[in-house]
Amino acid sequence: MTDSTNEFPTTLGADAVFKGQLQFEKGVKLLGKFEGEISSEGQLLVAEGATLTGDVKAGSVRVDGQIKGNLNAKTKVQLSASARLEGDVQTQRLEVAEGAVLVGRCVVGVNGQSKPTTDVRSVSRPAEMIPAAKARMPDPAPVMVKK
Amino acid sequence: MSSSLIEPGAAVKRVFCTHCAQVMDVAVRAMSVFCPHCNKRLILEDYKINSYYAVREFSTCGDVVVEKKGHVVAPIKAGNLTVKGKVQGHVTARGHVEIKKTGWFKGDLVAPCLVVENGAVLDGFVRIGPTQVPS
Repeated sequence: MTDSTNEFPTTLGADAVFKGQLQFEKGVKLLGKFEGEISSEGQLLVAEGATLTGDVKAGSVRVDGQIKGNLNAKTKVQLSASARLEGDVQTQRLEVAEGAVLVGRCVVGVNGQSKPTTDVRSVSRPAEMIPAAKARMPDPAPVMVKK
Repeated sequence: MSSSLIEPGAAVKRVFCTHCAQVMDVAVRAMSVFCPHCNKRLILEDYKINSYYAVREFSTCGDVVVEKKGHVVAPIKAGNLTVKGKVQGHVTARGHVEIKKTGWFKGDLVAPCLVVENGAVLDGFVRIGPTQVPS
């Protein structure tokens, strides 16, 4: 109980409906309904039965309830079995438990950015650079020289 | 219907048709069968990909493991999928999709369950959930 209080000093109760912009430092446990924007470096816990509508930017997010909106977490996003998330996710680490629902575009990886891709077509070399292909190439047409 | 083709006493496993999504029991040793519902051929083998593999469609009812050196460029339909290497393409899985720490995945993903390990890269539109896979 005390650990939970230390981790999440702020709690929005189950009967609370909050509309607007929320900023915090350590952590927030959301038990009720929230509509708006959250931006923080701390932890966010959306408990089972809680509903969040809007964009979230946080350090880490754990979802047991429902979120409709885009999620941008610096370290990780955890979706438990009862979670439902509709929106885009950008994070470094993603954990989705069996039974959770996630619908949206995901960018997970180093700094939430995907590594640059190597286009397969761009790797192919011109025929002049490949010896076997060069041997098969027809000789250049003879140049007519006027006397 | 389909169980009549299985020898009595043979070990069976349950698979989903990759075409019509119907469930059927097949012998564990079977490598391919014809779906009794849609009459299309199904591959039941498990695959381990260790090299570059680009095909028009990669479909199996078994499990697919893309190893560290593997690089698959194809739309994939599979039972379970484990990505330790690279995968590019639309993936529909009937079971678990695991992207290991060395894994790199780019494309759309439809699966009932997803595990992304720390360090893995995932970029694409995902539909995860028990009811998200089309039946």
